[in-house]
Amino acid sequence: MEATRQIYWNIGHGIVLPMYILAFAAIGVMVWGFWQRVPVWRQGKALDRFSRYNERIKRMLLEVFGQTKISRVTDGGLYHSIFFWSFLVLFAGTLLVMIQADLLTPLFQFNLLSGQFYKVFSLLLDVAGILSIIMLAGLFIRRFVIKPKGLEIVRDDYIVLQLLCAILVTGFLIEGVRMAATELQQNPALAIFSPGGLLVGQLFTSVPTATLLTVHTILWWSHFALVLGFFCAIPYTKLRHIFTTSANAFLAPFEPKGSIATINMEDETIEQFGAVTIQDLTWKDIFDADACTSCKRCQDRCPAYATDKPLSPMNIVKQIGELAVGNPAGNLIETVSQDALWSCTTCRACQEICPANIEHVNKIIEMRRNLTLMEGAFPGDEVRTAVSNIEVNGNPFGLAYAARGDWAEGLQLSLMEQDAEVDILYFVGCYASFDKRNQAIARNFIKICTAAGVKVGILGKEEKCCGEPVRKLGNEYLYQMTAAENIELMKAYNVKKIVTTCPHCFNTLARDYKDLGLDVPVEHYSTYINTLMDTNRLKLTPEPFSFTYHDSCYIGRYMDIIGQPRNILMQAGGSITEMDKNGYDSFCCGAGGGRIIAEEKLGSKISEARIKMAVDTGTPLLISNCPFCLTMFEDGIKTGGAEGELQVRDLAEIVAERIAA
Amino acid sequence: MKLLVCVKQVPDLESRFKPDAAGVWYNETDLAFRMNEYDEYAVEQAVQLREKLGEGTELTVLSIGPDRVVETIKKALAMGCDNAVHVQDVAASGKDSWQIASIIAAYAKDKCFDVIFTGMQSQDRGSAQVGVTIAEQLGFACTTTIVGFDYDNGTITAKRELEGGIKGVVKLKIPALVTCQLGLNIPRYPTLPNIMKAKRKEIVVIPVADMLKEEALVATGSFHPPAKKGGGIVLEGDVADLVEKVLAILKDKTAVLR
Amino acid sequence: MKTLLIGEYREGKLLESTYELSGFAEKLGAETAMLLVGDENSLPAYNGTLYLADAVTCGEYNPDLHKKLILETVQQENPDYIVFLHSSYGWDLAPRIAASLKIAQISEVIGIQDNGSFEVGACNGKMRRTVKSATSRTVVTIQAGAFTAAEPGGTPTVRKLTADGGGRLEFIGYEPAEQKEIDLAKAEVIVSAGRGVGKKDNVPVIAALAKALGGELGASRPVVDAEWIAHDHQVGTTGQTVSPKLYVACGISGAIQHLAGMKKSDFIIAINKDKDAPIGEIADVLVVADVMQFVPALTAKIAR
Repeated sequence: MEATRQIYWNIGHGIVLPMYILAFAAIGVMVWGFWQRVPVWRQGKALDRFSRYNERIKRMLLEVFGQTKISRVTDGGLYHSIFFWSFLVLFAGTLLVMIQADLLTPLFQFNLLSGQFYKVFSLLLDVAGILSIIMLAGLFIRRFVIKPKGLEIVRDDYIVLQLLCAILVTGFLIEGVRMAATELQQNPALAIFSPGGLLVGQLFTSVPTATLLTVHTILWWSHFALVLGFFCAIPYTKLRHIFTTSANAFLAPFEPKGSIATINMEDETIEQFGAVTIQDLTWKDIFDADACTSCKRCQDRCPAYATDKPLSPMNIVKQIGELAVGNPAGNLIETVSQDALWSCTTCRACQEICPANIEHVNKIIEMRRNLTLMEGAFPGDEVRTAVSNIEVNGNPFGLAYAARGDWAEGLQLSLMEQDAEVDILYFVGCYASFDKRNQAIARNFIKICTAAGVKVGILGKEEKCCGEPVRKLGNEYLYQMTAAENIELMKAYNVKKIVTTCPHCFNTLARDYKDLGLDVPVEHYSTYINTLMDTNRLKLTPEPFSFTYHDSCYIGRYMDIIGQPRNILMQAGGSITEMDKNGYDSFCCGAGGGRIIAEEKLGSKISEARIKMAVDTGTPLLISNCPFCLTMFEDGIKTGGAEGELQVRDLAEIVAERIAA
Repeated sequence: MKLLVCVKQVPDLESRFKPDAAGVWYNETDLAFRMNEYDEYAVEQAVQLREKLGEGTELTVLSIGPDRVVETIKKALAMGCDNAVHVQDVAASGKDSWQIASIIAAYAKDKCFDVIFTGMQSQDRGSAQVGVTIAEQLGFACTTTIVGFDYDNGTITAKRELEGGIKGVVKLKIPALVTCQLGLNIPRYPTLPNIMKAKRKEIVVIPVADMLKEEALVATGSFHPPAKKGGGIVLEGDVADLVEKVLAILKDKTAVLR
Repeated sequence: MKTLLIGEYREGKLLESTYELSGFAEKLGAETAMLLVGDENSLPAYNGTLYLADAVTCGEYNPDLHKKLILETVQQENPDYIVFLHSSYGWDLAPRIAASLKIAQISEVIGIQDNGSFEVGACNGKMRRTVKSATSRTVVTIQAGAFTAAEPGGTPTVRKLTADGGGRLEFIGYEPAEQKEIDLAKAEVIVSAGRGVGKKDNVPVIAALAKALGGELGASRPVVDAEWIAHDHQVGTTGQTVSPKLYVACGISGAIQHLAGMKKSDFIIAINKDKDAPIGEIADVLVVADVMQFVPALTAKIAR
């Protein structure tokens, strides 16, 4: 007998018209549901996320069908991916059946679903169905039995899991009943290609055919009704993420990571800065709330959340969504709370891991902008002082600006105002200029450059804070003021290349200053030294040491510099033991987002949490390449009781000690 | 009502001071300037009163000095002052307190101000005279070093900071002048819209010659760093060595470690 | 040369600082007369003419009335210098006298020069100025603690003054300072924390040294204002004036108000990363080091 099956068996072709009408009605309900959502999104400000179509579509297809983002976290993610692919196979199979029954057969009298193809088709769908059920069971156990910390259980979770489960189970029941009445009696050899149906069918072999037919009809309609329900439920439950999360893969920004909208200070018509209601956000910020599935991956990685501060990036996204729907005029900042906003270190761990391409950090910065620019608010009086110090002396410490270049006394370098003909301009930054501990990094970096025959220039007392901490705290005005002075100066000296030892200066000069008119190559010393070594300009005499390396957020996650610093340290003779959280998954030191100038009053110390991770590696040495990290870790070692156990040193110190004679 | 607040621009005290060519004041090279700290409290208090009184109240900020003081005036405007007066004087640092007070009094005498706010002293000269002297010249009631301020219906209730943490509470009727001390308030950080507005506000410029008819009563002989106290030892170097040295000194010179 | 010294009363008690005025006059080598608005039951041990008005009728703080009394006395005595303490009373009253007489005022004098000039502080104690009066009569305010107090001795010849007219200021009363739990004035060892300790979390490190030395924890004003340490630990003109056997200043640069409160300590050790900090001027030992590195190391050694 031919390997095939009768489509619409026991249902009859008379069903086709009502079935399609109902199906389209369900899809109509779904579209209408989303359509109703459009005005909610449109409350936000304009933002172009439709340029570069091809790239966007490519990215979306890869992320959705490749499940590339969701599968990065095994727990939950793996189940989701396998379920997605299996369910996709079932969906495609169903479409194929429809094409066969309502297109190929009536128009061409051609039966694709027959013979070998049918066997493969049938087996594939059954396996996909079984996998789907297993994955659902896994997800069910994870959510309702294991209950991972921080994972909320809401109404949608019951609806979605039960609905999907019911669709799959009724599917197999229909198949089993059909097979009990047909295949198992007429063509048992074929049944093996429908293992799921076979398993169910065998339960019904003793049931009279007439009963089977009735049961089949009931099951078919139930299955169909559930599928219709599924479509209708999409816009009203978390199922919406099928479309919204996918859309977000299309809508994600192309700008370099960490780009912040530069406010036009010349525009005198702007009267409102930052976000205090959802209307001050962009439509994409509101849309993000619909793309969120509360998977809490962001929250799991948030250093503020991990140290008991009142910030959960997931919660902020959720609160934006709730306001956009329930209380569009509501005060966003009050809802989110100032403490939550000020707690953010802008470490970007949330955004990096988000499977839905949600942009958490800029939302927080927009709200901070409102607090700072419209209210003159600060996270604490120490920040008020530091900000006023930056205004007056160009550094957060309030030290005399004229002393900024004092650290360089006796070193072989050039002061730009005396000699601007240099290979690189070293933008020193406030910490390496003024902080005793960090001055060692500046000096060692000069030592390295001297050994490599690089002529270095510094701005000395003319240099000012790059403006990063205040910008991240929302003070765009002060940022642009100090940035403009630095830019004017560097342009006047016709600077060709800039190197920084501070990742924060690096990000700001390399990316943010572009918006203000500075377009000069900027490099961080970890890649610069790596290149000096690769090109044999700098030679090291390796000396063995064992260490663990801390990826600074603004070097790793923001700038994708992960391998180079490790390479330098290995070549210097180091053997690395990685912390659990490293590379893109690194855990912030606590100083980003302007927190370096703020006291950490809430929860426990982020730096101590990170120090503990370093201690747990068992290595005696923690190496970083950021003045903020170094400062936080020097502190964290003391306050966290790791003195004697762990030492923190900078990349430049390790390299400088090993320069080949 | 009409309010006046007087502000001075001073060098940031973290700066390193060097005498100028004449040796009577500091050389301005490499100094960062800012609003005198005590004047910030004065501006904040004046703005708070202006906000409390609302419509019909005008708050003027006045500063004396070279063009650089415009920055400080703008800050006061951004904090909430309505009008600004810049008494232009490139040689303001050479004027004594009597002359500075006379300039302000000459400006204020026909303006019918009800309340004048000043800092209790400047951070650079620190004479603590100008405020009181203005009040004397204008015949205003005056109290100094206030850490508490309340205004109601023509009467100011002020809290003066006295030695040892004690406070003295006084009431005075307007027209009055108060000099403001640290602890009075936390000066606001200007909001961006106010900074923008301040940029567009007109600053009335008055040449100092129009206001000053007085000679100086005090002459500065020199400006110099303090002589080091004899016998003081300066220890530098490695922390471990420093600790040993200090321990030895403690044992030798004090009875604390015996 | 003649000086008219204006002393002070607080809540019915003569302030000890009044003797510093005599110390100044001694140093100047001038004759003195004194004026007090106070209480005849609490008179200074002083040899000379004492113009005394009653504080109960004239008020302890009534600038208009006190000014009137002083101006009357100036008429009587014809002094070259009218001397106040640079205090909340002195800096309030002195400019009123100077302005009324249109004479020079020299504020917060810390030293007397041979040529008739006075030395005063500038830039919050970082610098000094020498200034000279251009008028025949001069008002002077002297910095608290700058001049050694004269030995109390003698009995004043009291001339009572009376005044009428209320003045434009109404003195309501005193508000006590916040309750003190510790009395720094009696402490033999004080270890004080300044802004240089960096942050509140570092305060226990300083407290540990204080404990190791058997002393009390002190603080500079900025540290108290930042609420790192309670106000009753504050040393300085707005806190407590102290004179322990050992004073250790940790991360205190030495604002003039602080120096005035602790300069009478027998032995002063300052730990500061800035070699040029004003505290170095009065410290017997200035340790140039990071407070957070040096202090724990010292504490560990002492505790051993």
